[in-house]
Amino acid sequence: MTDSVELLQCQQVRLQLPGGFTLGPLSFRLCAGKIYGLLGANGAGKSTLLQLAGALKTPQAGQVLLKQQPLQQLEPRARARQLAYLSQQQPPSDMTVQQLLQLGLLPHKALWQGDNAADKAAIDAALMQVGLSSKATARLTQLSGGEQQRAHLARVLVQQAELLLLDEPVNHLDIHYQHQLLATLRRSGLTVLASFHDINLAAAYCDELLVLQQGQLQAVGTPEQVLTPALLQQVFGRPCLVDRSPFDGRCRVTFAPEAQ
Amino acid sequence: MRLSLSVRCWLLLLLLPASALAALQIGVVELPLWSLLSGQPTDALPGQVFWQLRLPRVLLAGLAGASLALCGALLQLLSRNELADPYLFGVVSGAALGATISSLVLPGLALALPVAAFAGALLAVLTVLLLAQRSNAHGMHSVSTLLLTGLAVSFCASAIASLLLYQADSFAANRIIFWLMGSLSRADWPAVSILAVSLLLTLTLCSLGRRQLAALAWSDDMAQSLGVAVKRWRLLLLLLCALLTAVVVAYCGGIGFVGLMIPHLVRLLFGTQILLLLFGSAVGGAVFLIWVDTAARTVLAPQELPLGILTALCGSLFFLLLLNRRRSPYES
Repeated sequence: MTDSVELLQCQQVRLQLPGGFTLGPLSFRLCAGKIYGLLGANGAGKSTLLQLAGALKTPQAGQVLLKQQPLQQLEPRARARQLAYLSQQQPPSDMTVQQLLQLGLLPHKALWQGDNAADKAAIDAALMQVGLSSKATARLTQLSGGEQQRAHLARVLVQQAELLLLDEPVNHLDIHYQHQLLATLRRSGLTVLASFHDINLAAAYCDELLVLQQGQLQAVGTPEQVLTPALLQQVFGRPCLVDRSPFDGRCRVTFAPEAQ
Repeated sequence: MRLSLSVRCWLLLLLLPASALAALQIGVVELPLWSLLSGQPTDALPGQVFWQLRLPRVLLAGLAGASLALCGALLQLLSRNELADPYLFGVVSGAALGATISSLVLPGLALALPVAAFAGALLAVLTVLLLAQRSNAHGMHSVSTLLLTGLAVSFCASAIASLLLYQADSFAANRIIFWLMGSLSRADWPAVSILAVSLLLTLTLCSLGRRQLAALAWSDDMAQSLGVAVKRWRLLLLLLCALLTAVVVAYCGGIGFVGLMIPHLVRLLFGTQILLLLFGSAVGGAVFLIWVDTAARTVLAPQELPLGILTALCGSLFFLLLLNRRRSPYES
């Protein structure tokens, strides 16, 4: 497969948070149409990296380029049409699912524009993709954690951006929806950078993995290249066994349990 | 029995003209309302009472109530805090300080008090915004910083005003204390038109920015990732709120509790959809203040009750009753 078009590029970005944690300096690039998995222990900087890539935080050094243009120089609405971000935690809200999804259309709307039939169709399509068509008028507070997460993913899909930055998108989802959702993202042809805790899920659906440790990129590459017992031991501090899944031949990691 | 949402909306909308007409009719001087409104010739006195006193007063009551409630709803959305209130941002204490100074320095000039109150209110809000902006630069959380700064500036302005009054003669002190209790007796056409224009401007901006507001009400991260210029929108809306409240306080003195209570009532009755909440608050605030002012000028007629006392009293009682009966939609 030939190398596809470069969509997002991080060049020597570095960010120090008020608490003292420093991310980077690190560089990587995301190519169009691929699914990237972000792995790392708690506090490794996964969320911070996603926020940097999503222009929610500004790097103190280096720069992030979206299609060769510095992210911070893009007009915010134009940026939001190309890049959608889903944070890890959402505040409780009394909004209905439909109202939440309408928010996703914001970057496509001028101030004076109303809602039209095309918006409705886009919202319905996104709800269909996450299996929430029957809950369009439900309030978010009435949904289960997994349903809320799916509603938020639908909001991100409605935004119609080429690049999705998702902070633990399969959080709260049951096994069925974990797989269904990642398969949907694969089929969509969109570029995705998503953080995961489930390494096997990431290995099954991601084209490439980025492994973070204490704010530094430890490894970047295909799951086969990256997921070695030595690296996993170094990053997660546990011995493990890496073999192949009997279903699709992709990497499968089994961590050794704590001795009892 | 629970009426459907659209029926409730229409009822509230109809309540506004009905309340205004009723308030125009009720008063010490009996007015031939129909002949006045249809332009038939009447005696000079009822005409004067109607055009110079009653009509601007009812209009000002409606506009002031709408402005305070709208500002309350907006600030609660922007700060994501159900206890936010226009009075939390130092507006009233700033206005009181301005009024106190003008009362002491220019006691004879009638126009000086509203102008000084307006200047004081605006100055206080700008101080709050500037200080909050500075602490935000040091990485503090923006919303709580704003509220805390507002409180601190409020206390500071109140303390200075109290000190000045403590040193002043009792006549000036009385003047300020009564002014702070709130009254619409200063109502005139300039006040009505200034407030009408400011209110219309704010409502228009809210309608245009309804999506931006919904995103801001969700979280800063959500708004920013959707391409909303978070700082610019927040500053614009805060300044408009400050302007509206400052105009109300300058003309009408302190009218507490409307900005806090009406948005709550509207949320309980109409839900949290942004436009419904903002416009519902405006209409609800107008209806509420029209009736409270009617009560203020008729209950002990010909003596007039201070408006702020009545709003706080009936507001808090009604509110406690409602809180007891219904749970907030934010509670699961």
